[in-house]
Amino acid sequence: MAEDLNWAVGGEAGDGIDSTGKIFAQALARAGRHVFTSKDFASRIRGGYTAYKIRTSVEEVQSVVDRLDILVALTQRTIDENLDELHDGSAIIYDGERSWEAEIPDEMTAVDVPLKSLAEDAGGAIMRNIVALGAACEITGFDVEYLDEALEKRFGGKGSQIVENNKEAARLGQEYVAENYDLEHLGYSVETTDNDYVLLNGNEAIGMGAIAAGCRFYAGYPITPATSIMEYLTGRIEDYGGHVVQAEDELSAINMALGGARAGARAMTATSGAGIDLMTETFGLVATSETPLVIADVQRSGPSTGMPTKQEQGDLNMALYGGHGEVPRFVITPTSITECFWKTVEAFNLAEKYQTPVFLVSDLAMSVTEQTFPPEAFDMDDVEIDRGKLVDDDEVDEWLDAQGHFRAHAVTDDGVSPRAIPGTVDGAHMSTGLEHDELGRRTEDQDERVRQVDKRYRKVETAQEEEDWDYREFGDEDADNLIISWGSNEGALVEALDYLEEDGIDVRVISVPYIFPRPDLSEEIEAADDVIVVECNATGQFADLIEHDVLTRVKRINKYTGVRFKADELAEQITEQLSAEVPA
Amino acid sequence: MSSDVRFTDFKSDKQPTWCPGCGDFGTMNGMMKALAETGNDPDNTFVVAGIGCSGKIGTYMHSYALHGVHGRALPVGTGVKMARPDIEVMVAGGDGDGYSIGAGHFVHAVRRNVDMSYVVMDNRIYGLTKGQASPTSRSDFETSTTPEGPKQPPVNPLALALASGASFIAQSFASDALRHQEIVQKAIEHDGFGFVNVFSPCVTFNDVDTYDYFRDNLVDLQDEGHDPNDYEAAKEVILDSDKEYQGVMYQDENSVPYHEKHGVTEDMSDIPDGAPEDAMDLVREFY
Ligand SMILES: Cc1ncc(C[n+]2csc(CCOP(=O)(O)OP(=O)(O)O)c2C)c(N)n1
Ligand code: SF4
Repeated sequence: MAEDLNWAVGGEAGDGIDSTGKIFAQALARAGRHVFTSKDFASRIRGGYTAYKIRTSVEEVQSVVDRLDILVALTQRTIDENLDELHDGSAIIYDGERSWEAEIPDEMTAVDVPLKSLAEDAGGAIMRNIVALGAACEITGFDVEYLDEALEKRFGGKGSQIVENNKEAARLGQEYVAENYDLEHLGYSVETTDNDYVLLNGNEAIGMGAIAAGCRFYAGYPITPATSIMEYLTGRIEDYGGHVVQAEDELSAINMALGGARAGARAMTATSGAGIDLMTETFGLVATSETPLVIADVQRSGPSTGMPTKQEQGDLNMALYGGHGEVPRFVITPTSITECFWKTVEAFNLAEKYQTPVFLVSDLAMSVTEQTFPPEAFDMDDVEIDRGKLVDDDEVDEWLDAQGHFRAHAVTDDGVSPRAIPGTVDGAHMSTGLEHDELGRRTEDQDERVRQVDKRYRKVETAQEEEDWDYREFGDEDADNLIISWGSNEGALVEALDYLEEDGIDVRVISVPYIFPRPDLSEEIEAADDVIVVECNATGQFADLIEHDVLTRVKRINKYTGVRFKADELAEQITEQLSAEVPA
Repeated sequence: MSSDVRFTDFKSDKQPTWCPGCGDFGTMNGMMKALAETGNDPDNTFVVAGIGCSGKIGTYMHSYALHGVHGRALPVGTGVKMARPDIEVMVAGGDGDGYSIGAGHFVHAVRRNVDMSYVVMDNRIYGLTKGQASPTSRSDFETSTTPEGPKQPPVNPLALALASGASFIAQSFASDALRHQEIVQKAIEHDGFGFVNVFSPCVTFNDVDTYDYFRDNLVDLQDEGHDPNDYEAAKEVILDSDKEYQGVMYQDENSVPYHEKHGVTEDMSDIPDGAPEDAMDLVREFY
């Protein structure tokens, strides 16, 4: 198991917790260390406890654990909230000069640093968090040069004076601890490597994937935790000839994106929770008008406004079944931050190849977690773009009927029709949410209705045959215990394997990035003694699908506290479930 | 774009199922003529339609078109124009579609000032659902759902547009064919969002706002010497609830359409075979 260091900074929202954490994470990434971050935050802008946690190791880390080694506490609540995770060897950096008197359990090491006054010495109280970072460097023996690099990156745009002041603040923090404490006995060290890692979160990966895939038009409406996709694209997509519109609501957002897509652009919208509900009105239109559209749902805790800043995987049924009537759609669920990138690229290709809506279902945990990767994990040379049956002026002829009308909804063997975009000569046609004939004209003819419904579903059959709807696999392939998961649980499960192995328990983990169509797991399930489906929801939406697929009962691990799975916690629950009875 | 485009090229061979005498016939003819007259052709035109009798217009016209869901035609048109500034975009719908379920979108489409035209067939009734009150129905207009009238004042769509910062506001009458066509033409030619509210009588469900009523009461702003560039004068006619006007009420001569203002000028349908050449820069940003 990796030699981890677990670090956190916590305080009130508005204390600059996020940027402090991010700077330290970047410094660690610069030092060639793996980083996995998590955030505790409440749904308010100022006030209320908030924390940024970093787990770092020279080995890959993919999950949070129940352990905190160094805590920068700006408030007592930060200490109280994390007591469970603090241990005998934990060091707590706090500012004893400030008005609160820290209550720190005796067995932990209190590192009292006058953060505020040292920051003032460096040029301003605002830099007190940076002083704390310097202090953390000293405790762990982490070369402050890396922190300097991160500070340059962060404040470079604000001028050299600001950068220098921040570096000075870090230095003062470091020196203060060196002069006043001897903490070597705690044994913390931060080994560095020559690796260069990039540090990003799932939403950034989705945004980057969209640009890489040629998405040029994005329309959205702000909602946690999807907004950062829009924020990423705004300010970057323009460099590639694209544009972002903040629509007046989600109804508008999805319809704008639909308009962009019908005009021939690769277009996308993203939302969460309540926004998906509003967009549902238009799902059917997207599907029946056979418009290629990528709709990302970054799930959060529901129902209604639920817990907007908390984790959940509760929208699976919505993505699969949402909308009146029956419409084919693809549902893709990236299982990691790199997969957020690659599945976004794939989503655009599938949308255009099959002229359908594609749901890209991610979740809050993935959207706010930053993780390090070698840059090659996002090798742009591997991005392939398939625009499907887009016809040009010369190819249109093949698809005209006897009267010269373009058959935009031609009934074909594979269910996919030719697609002409505005400007294509003789390709003019209409599309509608009404049932229609091959030309896109309204019809209520019974045979035509059946032909069009069948045609639209035939696309799914074709895709089922032609695409790889495979899964990712970890652990022992021959193990009798099979764990199935979807979405962001993968990382924690992979690490849980280490814990289980220590206890002599072998498991096979299957992580599924496709919900519809999805891989056929019947053989794997039949081969296993115990099957457990892990997901962040109360009812086991994916477990229901699995049971339906193979007509067998499976065991379930469900978490719906609003917090993602942790590796050690999962290992424990898996062990428990393995000895439990299969539900009747 | 070919120079010999005739307005009939914008006609589909589907026969309208509108009631004989419906105002929408005249409205549509004027739209097709205006499109042809302004040098557009079906392959370079996108018509977005809402839901209602009015929304069926997309079916009877020939061009690239989408007939969407109720009230959301404007966002679709906005998306089309964003992706393809080279394409002529026309959005059509009814008063229910545009000022009731789609009222929110109307306000925002107006203030975005995207370069497209929006033609609303205002019959002051819900036609397709067989005669319920619409947002422009008179407060004492008795319908199946409002037996004593809606008991609330009608929406003034022109004032709503004005308050939202419209750059072009006009009103026409489906049966005054030449004037209607001319006004729609001006909306198409306008640099920005060209809004035209068309009195398009429903002969089946509205026996108040009839052809005769409009013929008797319509005042043509041209005859009044109205200057559409004069904002104050525009405000006066738009807020005048005693008269029914036709003509261009207001046009902002300095209107800068959205795509020019925000530099959205590229044809977004044209994308490379793989990731953009400098896409690795996006990754490096995360170092
Ligand atoms: C979401 C939704 N709600 C209700 C309807 C039913 N509906 C169809 S048309 C219409 C009213 C149309 O009125 P208007 O826009 O004035 O058009 P008209 O038929 O008068 O031309 C309604 C309520 C619908 N299609 N979709
Ligand atoms: S019901 Fe009214 S609006 Fe609809 S087609 Fe008939 S006349 Fe026209």
